[in-house]
Amino acid sequence: MKKKRFVFLLVLALVLTSCLFESSENGLDSWMEEKGMPTSYKVQTLTIGDLKAASAEVFMDTLPRSANYRAVLGHVANLSHDMVFDFFFTADTNFLKKFKADDSASVYLLLALQKDFYTDKEFPKDSLEVEEELDIQISWILDHGRKNKFKDSLSNITDSIWYESLEDWSDVSVVDTTLKVSLSKLDSSVRVDLPEALLKELKETERHTRLQLKISAPKASRLYRFYGAGADEPPYLSMYASSKYLPFAPSRMASIVHNEEDCKECLILHGGVFDSLVVEIPQEAIMKALSEFYGEDFPVSEKEEFDVRQNVVLAELTMARDDSKGFSELGLPIQVVVGSFVDSADGVTRKMESYRLNNEEILDVGHQNLVFHDGDSLKVQLTMGLRDFINRASDDRGLKFMMRLGFPFLQEKDTTYMSYITDRRDTVRLRLDNSDYARYDFSSVLESSMTLKLWLASKRAFKEEDK
Amino acid sequence: MKKFLGLVAVASALSFGSTIGLDALGEEHVLGGTASAAGRGFAGGAKTGDAEGVAVTNPARLAFDQKVVFNLNFLIEMDLVSGNHDDFSSVGITLPSFNLSFPMGDFGAMGLSLWQHYASSFNQETEESDAKLEYAGSVYELVPTYALRLPYLRSFSLGVSGHYVLGSISRSLTLKKNLDGLDSSDVWGVADYSLTDYVEGTWEIKDHPMYYTFALQYRGREASYYFSYTTGYTLQNDLKYNFRISEVDSLAPTKNTRLIDVPAMFATGVNYRFKKKHNVMMDLTWRAWDSDIENMAGSWNMEKETRTQGDFMASLGYQCDGSGLFYDPYWKQINYRVGAWYRDWYIDGVNEFGGSIGAGFPLGRKGTTVDLALQGGMRFADTNSEWDEAFFAIRIGLTGIGSWGQSRR
Repeated sequence: MKKKRFVFLLVLALVLTSCLFESSENGLDSWMEEKGMPTSYKVQTLTIGDLKAASAEVFMDTLPRSANYRAVLGHVANLSHDMVFDFFFTADTNFLKKFKADDSASVYLLLALQKDFYTDKEFPKDSLEVEEELDIQISWILDHGRKNKFKDSLSNITDSIWYESLEDWSDVSVVDTTLKVSLSKLDSSVRVDLPEALLKELKETERHTRLQLKISAPKASRLYRFYGAGADEPPYLSMYASSKYLPFAPSRMASIVHNEEDCKECLILHGGVFDSLVVEIPQEAIMKALSEFYGEDFPVSEKEEFDVRQNVVLAELTMARDDSKGFSELGLPIQVVVGSFVDSADGVTRKMESYRLNNEEILDVGHQNLVFHDGDSLKVQLTMGLRDFINRASDDRGLKFMMRLGFPFLQEKDTTYMSYITDRRDTVRLRLDNSDYARYDFSSVLESSMTLKLWLASKRAFKEEDK
Repeated sequence: MKKFLGLVAVASALSFGSTIGLDALGEEHVLGGTASAAGRGFAGGAKTGDAEGVAVTNPARLAFDQKVVFNLNFLIEMDLVSGNHDDFSSVGITLPSFNLSFPMGDFGAMGLSLWQHYASSFNQETEESDAKLEYAGSVYELVPTYALRLPYLRSFSLGVSGHYVLGSISRSLTLKKNLDGLDSSDVWGVADYSLTDYVEGTWEIKDHPMYYTFALQYRGREASYYFSYTTGYTLQNDLKYNFRISEVDSLAPTKNTRLIDVPAMFATGVNYRFKKKHNVMMDLTWRAWDSDIENMAGSWNMEKETRTQGDFMASLGYQCDGSGLFYDPYWKQINYRVGAWYRDWYIDGVNEFGGSIGAGFPLGRKGTTVDLALQGGMRFADTNSEWDEAFFAIRIGLTGIGSWGQSRR
């Protein structure tokens, strides 16, 4: 009973005082203003021109990589691409006997051209007429064993171990031969007759066989794309004897790239591979502009280790662009993707930057982070990079970022920035799923000066005129 | 226990209080914020006789207690903040203290309190600009106390308590974008981010585990007095600042340590008892602040420092003790209290007038009591950055009394 009385008293008091203490709408805004606190953050822009790169370095990607879904063979944009197959099979002993005894036995490889790429409406139709007899080199490494121990030992060779072993492809048999490829015959397989020498070696194998086979076409006039080991139409190695075929699909495939660029100092990026260009801009000019902008020392006062008195809402770097020294297979614009080097747990990690759309500009002149399209400038957004750079500028580091060629871009003047289906049920794709094995020379781009534009929100005191 | 923890969680989530001094130390909860003392206008440090438990300004009083006392206090405070022809209000609940005391007969008495000495609690959103401001700070003190009646001079007691400081503080100011003055061609670059100016830190005493209070009390038949001295100390507040878009932001925070020199405090009080159950009491506390307090903020156009003044509190109270006899009518068993106080805050130009009425309701025969105090008053701020406040507070104290360890004589 007494408890109830207390509760009643409490509620009554609360109700009475809440009526008594009714507040006005702008009270808190006004109180915060008087305390010198803002009620919203102001965004200011700062443009810093005449920036020059202090260093720029290309890291060419020549590591063997998986070609399990798409494999390429040939030569394009000063790169030549080899295809490597890793077959493992246990042949039927009966068939193996006949194969060894039959003088007319043969072995060949069937490859399927990547039909979805060649029939894509973005692939230049005139190129479908291409027919070429390629000079190819076939080389191989053959291992075999009778016991299960040999078979088991193969399962220990992981993909990464295999890719590493491919970098040193020596002491192997090499045979020159030719291969005819016709892009107009997409439905029929490309047949590669494997050399007599390999056939002879295969006849000597025991029950379990591992065949690593490499095909190179360094003199090809272009690049040819085939389905890889894991695709719906994988390549087959076919053994033929006594009117019987025994086909084997590869357990995995890899692609090996040979870089044939003459100019080692040139800043050339290739598409389709993971070439990257790392650029560093010295901090002085940026810091000077910031200290002039804020009217106080920058980066920080002596007491403070880091500077978090402002936040970079957006950072955009504009550089000159010259597509004339570039080459693209498909003639489509290619997106330049960027990543910034930012601190993470006492180390530095590379984070890919997000991309904010400038709709007005896109509708007018198209996306500006593209090469091989109209215009003469390239704009990349480095928001995360600039936030981290300004935060830790007191340790004298420069602004460091990485550029890479992305996929061919299909929405040059579209602001949706996603694949979508139109009212008429047509699919509009953002980008092509297949790479353009393009080549772009950034040497002259980085020689000219760049402009950095920052959108900043600051905790610094407003100047009298800003209030 | 679960209910208690739940209550603590609710109280900590809802705790807002005074807006004065949020960036300095916050609102000081005097005398441990017990509901019984609050009912008498925070007077009565010298009052012995009933089981009130620990008094943080007068550890010596504990020596006269004869029963084990557990005491838990709640504070519901409503503030109307006004200035510059505008006002706003806030309501909040907090747990200013809980106390435990064990008398040990001839070996004196021991006590332990957890006391929220300073609180900066605030959580409001602006209606117009949708900004959100939140302060959540507490300087907690864990206060072990020991008191002993002197041999031969049994009317005198000595007490000492140590104050182990702990606690944390954070301020989060979340803002929406403002495109004023931005060129229309640049508007596209401003995403719809909310930016948060976030500060967080911890409290401790610099170079020392504790600060101390020493007290001497005299208990007479009619008049009782105490005098206490609390050592000065330096509060250390290690702060980390960030200006972030999300809570997982990777920017390294700027660090700062602010040191606050809290001066020594003198306190004294008298309690005069007449006609057995009537008590009149008066308490005085005084501290002379030498140095200003560095603010937690230090960004935008906020003041970098809070100027201090000598802080002083005078309180006057009256209590009519209940009979303590369970066969008396219930109204005779109730303790009735009334009091008033004047206080100069540690912040320059801020002073407070307040009055309160209170009552202690005994529950059952064992001495368990519910104390209730209703307080109201004004805080006047003669500075530009602080606004005046009218406050109304309800304090509830739960006191449990046991006779553990006491043998029948």
